[in-house]
Amino acid sequence: MEGKSYQRVPRVKIREMRDDYMKFELRDTDASVANALRRVMIAEVPTVAIDLVEIEINSSVLNDEFIAHRLGLIPLTSDRAMSMRFSRDCDACDGDGQCEFCSVEFHLRAKCHSDQTLDVTSKDLLSSDHTVVPVDFSDSAGMESSEQKGIIIVKLRRGQELRLRAIARKGIGKDHAKWSPAATVTFMYEPDIRINEELMDMLTLDEKKAWVESSPTKVFDFDPKTEKVVVVDPEAYTYDDEVIKKAEAMGKPGLVDIIAKEDSFIFTVESTGAVKASQLLLNAIEVLKQKLDAVRLSEDTVEADDQFGELGAHMRGG
Amino acid sequence: YRYSAPIKVDVEYIQGSHDQKTRVEKKGVVIGRMPIMLRSCSCTLYGKTESELAKLGECPLDPGGYFIIKGNEKVLLMQEQLSKNRIIIDMDKKGNLNASVTSSSERIKSKTIIQMENQKIYLMLNQFVKKIPIMVVMKAMGMESDQEVVQMVGRDPRYAALLMPSIEDCAKEGIHKQEQALAYLETKVFCVVPLFCYCLGVEGLEVLSGEELHTPYSFLVLFNGNILGKHRKPQHFAAAMRKLRRAGKIGEFVSVFVNEKQHCVYIASDGGRVCRPLVIADKGISRVKEHHMLELKAGVRTFDDFLSDGLIEYLDVNEENNSLIALYEEEATTETTHIEIEPLTLLGVIAGLIPYPHHNQSPRNTYQCAMGKQAMGNIAYNQLHRMDSLLYLLVYPQRPLLTTKTIELVGYDKLGAGQNATVAVMSYSGYDIEDAIVMNKASLDRGFGRCIHMKRYCAVNQKYDNNTQDRILRPNRDGFDSGPMRVLDDDGLAAPGEIIRRNDILINKQVPIVTRGQFKSALNDSEFKSVPQRYDGPQGESCVVDKVALCSDKHNNLCFKFLIRHTRRPEVGDKFSSRHGQKGVCGTIVQQEDFPFSERGICPDLIMNPHGFPSRMTVGKMIELLGGKSGVSCGRFHYGSAFGEPGGHADKVEAISETLVRMGFSYDGKDFIYSGITGCPLQAYIFMGPIYYQKLKHMVLDKMHARGSGPRVSLTRQPTEGKARNGGLRVGEMERDCLIAYGASMLLYERLMISSDPFEVQVFTACASLINLPSRYFPLHVNKPFYDVIPTLPSQKPNIPTLTKLFSHWWTVRILSVFI
Repeated sequence: MEGKSYQRVPRVKIREMRDDYMKFELRDTDASVANALRRVMIAEVPTVAIDLVEIEINSSVLNDEFIAHRLGLIPLTSDRAMSMRFSRDCDACDGDGQCEFCSVEFHLRAKCHSDQTLDVTSKDLLSSDHTVVPVDFSDSAGMESSEQKGIIIVKLRRGQELRLRAIARKGIGKDHAKWSPAATVTFMYEPDIRINEELMDMLTLDEKKAWVESSPTKVFDFDPKTEKVVVVDPEAYTYDDEVIKKAEAMGKPGLVDIIAKEDSFIFTVESTGAVKASQLLLNAIEVLKQKLDAVRLSEDTVEADDQFGELGAHMRGG
Repeated sequence: YRYSAPIKVDVEYIQGSHDQKTRVEKKGVVIGRMPIMLRSCSCTLYGKTESELAKLGECPLDPGGYFIIKGNEKVLLMQEQLSKNRIIIDMDKKGNLNASVTSSSERIKSKTIIQMENQKIYLMLNQFVKKIPIMVVMKAMGMESDQEVVQMVGRDPRYAALLMPSIEDCAKEGIHKQEQALAYLETKVFCVVPLFCYCLGVEGLEVLSGEELHTPYSFLVLFNGNILGKHRKPQHFAAAMRKLRRAGKIGEFVSVFVNEKQHCVYIASDGGRVCRPLVIADKGISRVKEHHMLELKAGVRTFDDFLSDGLIEYLDVNEENNSLIALYEEEATTETTHIEIEPLTLLGVIAGLIPYPHHNQSPRNTYQCAMGKQAMGNIAYNQLHRMDSLLYLLVYPQRPLLTTKTIELVGYDKLGAGQNATVAVMSYSGYDIEDAIVMNKASLDRGFGRCIHMKRYCAVNQKYDNNTQDRILRPNRDGFDSGPMRVLDDDGLAAPGEIIRRNDILINKQVPIVTRGQFKSALNDSEFKSVPQRYDGPQGESCVVDKVALCSDKHNNLCFKFLIRHTRRPEVGDKFSSRHGQKGVCGTIVQQEDFPFSERGICPDLIMNPHGFPSRMTVGKMIELLGGKSGVSCGRFHYGSAFGEPGGHADKVEAISETLVRMGFSYDGKDFIYSGITGCPLQAYIFMGPIYYQKLKHMVLDKMHARGSGPRVSLTRQPTEGKARNGGLRVGEMERDCLIAYGASMLLYERLMISSDPFEVQVFTACASLINLPSRYFPLHVNKPFYDVIPTLPSQKPNIPTLTKLFSHWWTVRILSVFI
């Protein structure tokens, strides 16, 4: 296999990009790479999340573990996470969360003095580090910031109090879902839809309309001027085969030909807000590279060659 | 302890002897206390509003109906009984035909059985020692000639043929006259029940002869099992009786039932009959009209008005057989006599929680009725103020996406007992065989199936006869036992909020060494011994002391109660169930990235094997999935009440499918799914959507058990049995067979012969009989013949060979035992 190269140059084209949402095309690669990217985004891009809670006073209706669990799931801004240390690898401390390299301290003090119930939210968490704070959703949701109050942790009635210290640490989604920066990461194969115009012309107007309507998503449209069926949004197609079945039912098999392009993918990434969607992708590529480096480094040894065989040689030879 | 009210009696009695009689009156003498049913009209909670109940610390959703006795909630249970005064005909074990009746009045209760054995008919009554031939009884009652008897029973030749063997039998005994028969019986005959009113044309018994009783064109009228007489026009009579009932002239629970087959009209007013209210229809036209319903809505009319106005009536099981009940008004024909008020009332509270139960195979609904009670959830709004001995709560309970009307009526939507899980029906990983389910780790991280387990532990500060009592000491902060004592407060009791592990001390208690005999005043420290109570929770888990309560028990001892809380996340082996009797354990937990996903980004919480469907035929579960999926995408809770489709209380599958298509899903609920491991699309479309899942209270943590060596029963010296006693696990016949088949004979030898209770006996090979002598009499060689022992009594020292030389071998044999 020496000399033969499997190298490809994948291309990325960004379609849409917001802080917490991104849609992009990934072309000239295969499902394994696309899936690796997806998996890393979900499970291996590090973020910071509350991991240790010391409760001083809790007279709320929720018990200590309950509150600790809720605190853990609050997304914290984690742009610094890539450069932070894991507590277990930290040599400045023994991972007990007292050091600035691996942890961030939070404080929460809330007491209800009025007759109205007090909502304790993520806004009440005071961070010791201004780069790691609970994610603020107020602007992106398009509501007024005074209305939007963050994520509710617990509600207090008169006289109830909550006072605690929390330590946030770096971690990955594989260990606990609270460290996953991805709300949704998914991809689809780009469909290639070809309408057989010859057969289509044989249909009556009503038949064409019925055929267009048979798709649960709006993939096709009927143009009343040209009296033709056009593909308006191929990506809306969910590979449900409904139009194909409909064509067969109408006695016109082969009316439309839909194939999934094996080498191009449309990704949708939604972030929890811990890192920006675009940064999530970059971090994921970085993590993927590190993982490949780990394989490449171990490839120097004989055992690794035994283990990876052809793959090791392939990576060496490029 | 007890929620009760005093029973007060005004007493009047006469005091003094014959000439000096005085009448004494005492008012309001308390003779006892009667428990009060909660939320009854005598209860303080009766008629309170939600906020008033909240102030009292009570849950507004609690329906009441129970009693509080010695701090425990007690409920009255219904019992099933054979109906009294009714003739029940059945076959006994020997195949004899029996007709029995339990006659019961205020004073007496007796059972009469008429049995047919070998063609002959006998009477059995507990007053008689033996079976009495029926003819003897007849003659004793004054029917001396056989002719008379036959007339009384009925002149049909079939009856006569039936009686023939009995008549012959009686003649053989030589009984012909009443006196002879009475002498035979040697017991008295007592007279029968008083008679009732006959205004509706019932001809009384006394005006009828035996012959007339059996005329085919008139019906026997029975009231609570007693014969009143005969009526020539049973339907007329029944209609008149029903009219009286609807007019409120007789009780609303009186049932009138015409049995055409038995030529009888049964009227019943006794208790224990289950009655259901139904709308009365005249020739298929409902008596309840639009304006009645408007009045009901306006609050002018109540349910009782419907009853008293004769729009609705109660039917019992018998009378239901005389009626034709339409499920819906539209289905009523001219023959219809009644219309269901609402078909979902056919089911009770527990079965009412099942969505689309009428699409399921009926045993599945039965299973769910048993399982719904084991589901965890929230039990009441005041659940955290309670001190139950065992309480399971769900951390994030949800309201089912697919609800029923019953759910809303009973408040199940306010105190859910499950969570809406996105379920993919597919095979995955092989850890999903035999109903096991595959769970998504990320879902569990986020709180799916998380539960709180609360258990109460008690300790008593005992007082003793010699005026001494237990004492509770301040814990040692350092030195011996300071580790397990770290959860203790300064008062020597575990402090709420502390994390507690197995073998930590709950209470630092000391007991006086001498607790009997002479009275003692002050004891010094040396007269106490330490008996701390330790927490015996699961090994390796950290629990929390939730609450500590102090109270006094019935002997007035100080009593401490600790509520220990443990939050658990689901693990492999925990039991889950949907609402369709489909239970399964968690087979494996898989990372989210390995889970399949759709191009919308939907990733299931749970994967269920499709083999669960064909044999169970739980179509309702599939419709629940469809309805849940459409409900979640269109933002409206869907309904699945029993038989609710025509009445609008259940969404139709067609409508659900239309919604699904409108929201961009396939009409059949199947999705195009990618494998999370490879990123390639799956070969099949996957049926995926939300189903309400319950976590059942059977969790591995409470059941898991294994041991090496441990305690033994002192009597047999075999290992103890059961988890609570740290017992051994039985290697039974089948386990033994497995090991033999596998060829692990050394393991088997070790388990059965050595690890349990190694025991050796001597076998005398010539006749293969065992002899049990203590082993010190034998040399320690196994299976080696020896000649120096003879079978003597163990008390005697065996003397050197006399007999033994004659015989060939003694063998030492190990006896196997089963617990290891």
